[in-house]
Amino acid sequence: MARVYVSTVVNARNDRVWARVRDFNGLPNWHPSIAESRIEGGEPADKIGCVRDFRLRNGDRIREKLLGLSDYDMFCTYSILESPMGVDNYVATLRLTPVTDGEQTFLEWTAEFDCAPERENELVSNIGAGVFQGGFDALKRAFGG
Amino acid sequence: MPHIVKSTILDAPTGAVWNVLRDFNGHDRWHPAVATSTIERAQAADKIGCVRRFKLKDGSELREQLLALSDLEQTFSYCLLDTPIPMFNYVAHVRLLPVTDGDRTFWHWESRFTTRPEDADRLTQMVGEQIYQAGFEAIRRHLKEAA
Repeated sequence: MARVYVSTVVNARNDRVWARVRDFNGLPNWHPSIAESRIEGGEPADKIGCVRDFRLRNGDRIREKLLGLSDYDMFCTYSILESPMGVDNYVATLRLTPVTDGEQTFLEWTAEFDCAPERENELVSNIGAGVFQGGFDALKRAFGG
Repeated sequence: MPHIVKSTILDAPTGAVWNVLRDFNGHDRWHPAVATSTIERAQAADKIGCVRRFKLKDGSELREQLLALSDLEQTFSYCLLDTPIPMFNYVAHVRLLPVTDGDRTFWHWESRFTTRPEDADRLTQMVGEQIYQAGFEAIRRHLKEAA
């Protein structure tokens, strides 16, 4: 099983960062790779089990299911239902933890999945350095560092 | 039950921080509040269950027991056995997590304990500031001097 772990620090309190990322249908509002998103069946975006159907700027379409969301622990867990990436059993978690020493937030974004062995390095890099770090960089810009 | 949570970011990789923190008997070399420390019965400082007996600079003596230590997770847990202050059932957890964006360290230090209600705020503040936050600052200096 392949594993991705990417983490960063954003210069804002965790409640402010969480307000920006908790919306499971809100990727286009903060992630530069995502063009548009909708929740299937008109369900609320914080209903566990809801499915987001979104499109990347490169045209790829991905469907993901919300598995867990906690406003108390500030994490969001989801799985991929359908994607052109060639991954199976993909589960990812975005988690925020306060840095008490200064108004900062520690963010971790992890994923585990199965794939063809020869594609593992490429996928880990695309997902980690590409998608996850790309989202972090956008959040750092949005909150001034 | 009072809950103390403190965390910081250190500008060093987790391996360098863990090298200092994993020594359960090493806090007298970096923590400004700790004067001397020994492990009882000459046990190894990374033997689960070992007890450190240490004196603070103010002369008070404490005993703490190592409950868990993981080099893989870069975490350890310990509890207080004896202390002159009215803290009971004190269990603390230290964990280090890598900040991959910049090869830095997220250090999380938390504990829970019981005490008389009128002492809860004072002790939470005291341990959080004088032990945890002061420890963060000390390790920051310690790593800078070692570099």
